[in-house]
Amino acid sequence: MSMASTVCSQFRFDPARHGALAALVVILCFNLIVTPNFLHTQTLFVNISQVATIAIVAMGMTIVIATGGIDLSVGAIMALSGALAPLIFLSPFGLANPGLGLAAAIIIPILAALCCGIFNGVMVSYFNVQPIVATLIFFISGRGLAQVLTNGNLQTISNPSFSYLGTGKILGLPFQGWLVLAIALVLWWLVTRSMFGRQLLAVGGNERAARLSGIPVERVKIGAYVICAGLSGLAGLIVVAINSASDAARIGSLMELDAIAAAVVGGTLLQGGRAPIFGAILGAVIIQLVKYTLLANGVADEVALIAKAAIIIGAVYLQQGRRD
Amino acid sequence: MKRRFIVTTALAGALALGAGIAGAETPPLAQKERYKVGFSQMESNNPWRIAETKSFHDTAESCNWDLIATDAAGSAAKQVADVDSMIAQGIDVLFLPPREEKPLLPAVMKAKAAGIPVFLVDRSVDPNVAKAGEHFVAFLGSDFIDQGKRAAEWLIENFDGDKGVIVELEGTTGSSPANDRKKGFDDRIAEDDRFEIVASQTGDFARDLGRQVMETLLQAHPDVNVVYAHNDEMAIGAIQALELAGRKPGEDVTIVSIDGTRDALQAIIDGKMGVTVESSPFFGPLACEVMNKYAAGEEIPGWVQVEDRIFTQENAADHIDEAY
Repeated sequence: MSMASTVCSQFRFDPARHGALAALVVILCFNLIVTPNFLHTQTLFVNISQVATIAIVAMGMTIVIATGGIDLSVGAIMALSGALAPLIFLSPFGLANPGLGLAAAIIIPILAALCCGIFNGVMVSYFNVQPIVATLIFFISGRGLAQVLTNGNLQTISNPSFSYLGTGKILGLPFQGWLVLAIALVLWWLVTRSMFGRQLLAVGGNERAARLSGIPVERVKIGAYVICAGLSGLAGLIVVAINSASDAARIGSLMELDAIAAAVVGGTLLQGGRAPIFGAILGAVIIQLVKYTLLANGVADEVALIAKAAIIIGAVYLQQGRRD
Repeated sequence: MKRRFIVTTALAGALALGAGIAGAETPPLAQKERYKVGFSQMESNNPWRIAETKSFHDTAESCNWDLIATDAAGSAAKQVADVDSMIAQGIDVLFLPPREEKPLLPAVMKAKAAGIPVFLVDRSVDPNVAKAGEHFVAFLGSDFIDQGKRAAEWLIENFDGDKGVIVELEGTTGSSPANDRKKGFDDRIAEDDRFEIVASQTGDFARDLGRQVMETLLQAHPDVNVVYAHNDEMAIGAIQALELAGRKPGEDVTIVSIDGTRDALQAIIDGKMGVTVESSPFFGPLACEVMNKYAAGEEIPGWVQVEDRIFTQENAADHIDEAY
């Protein structure tokens, strides 16, 4: 009895943390009752493979938001890296050396993404450009660049080794699901256990105080944008690998909004200072499940956008309650 | 924005009135050796549009055109401006695929007022305001309703099962090809009791979204054995979704689609797709022919229908080399 009441009082005490979990439980229960064939392993696979890219980008976004910034360029960086990969292994070099070509097709796009991250970080930290404006530069030009590289053409590929990134399975679960887990563990360690993590949260919590106490604020911020951009680049490769096609106009379109929404629903404060990595995954899962639920029950895709907005409003409301 | 809308509408109205007074005939086209031809493409973000533009460039040589081609990059406003600049450059004839029905009306009216005959290509403008033979010479394009109907007829003829459970992947919500391809297919399939459309959702004409929507709908309706996609890109996405779920497209699920892209023909050769009804982007030769007839003073019908072929196992291999 007393245990139950403690649990109850905890729920009321910390709605920001338990609100998202409660929402997840509600959605799961709803699906079990209403959605046909929900309790099926294939449902799990489908949702894991669909949520992976959002979760990966949302984790990067969480790190950036923890510094008090925001990254609007994630979708465009996905498009850029997604456009680069097929260009590399369809080039004469890639066709002549399949192994090297494949390695280059994974490494070079991610390096390009990291460079975009450095640019974003330098703009924000050294040039004091507002994060929204600084990342708007790649938001606009990144996709343009991807389309110029490919002449706007859809590139179709057939490369089983590269497709493993999107369609492979380990122990019966999709490869990208394991990738999400691995990235989450590394980032969680980085945020909670490493020097960089402490500096990150300090910069986001109070930048002036952090600077005065000798934290290299500029480098920490650049690091955050680089991590976010690198993860976006990886997500872009996964999208291309699943589809065996790269469409520069569509890869990662509206991803910035999904990632920000997932981070916020997962309990990240937009003013910085918190980086709940697993919260971001939880947020991504909730958004994915809502989309899945509506679609599987025959509700039009457009309605899912409205539902997404409603979830964000709910999450922000809970955060407001938490601060009081 | 609102003010601009009012001004545009007023302008369109005034121009329509002016054109009406100026005469109900379309401007004549003199017969000469070389023509200065304008082609105002709306966007180049998919293989179909790219193939269409290329077709005009290829025709320019054989048809003695000095071709001025522009790309409005998905903006109706830019497309109107593109047409303005072509008029200023003194083109003899204009080929225009109007991105949207109403916003492109001023472009049609201005060209007419400048004495330039206009041919609409692959999409039309608001039929309540602009009429063939009066404001523009003719509309060259496919019958989208008929495309859907032919897809349905192939299915009715070639489906051996007792019960066809159909999932329909729709194109961009509200676009004329999506509306018409749905109407043509749904109306014809309703006449056969064996078939039932259990779900119909938009995949936005894109491979990635087509795949995700198919993955979800397949979970909700595991008994599905027919997929009808409004274009080949979504059909390819659906094939990937089916394969990931361990189904055998072509064997236990029949795929029916529209467009005739290279990937789709390959899928038909591989036995994964049943049929794709052509929606040809190769408008160049037809444009040349119709224009020469018009210059010779022949009567041009208001709607010059494009003959769309149908690709199945029998002929896919013969046509894959010419596909885009």
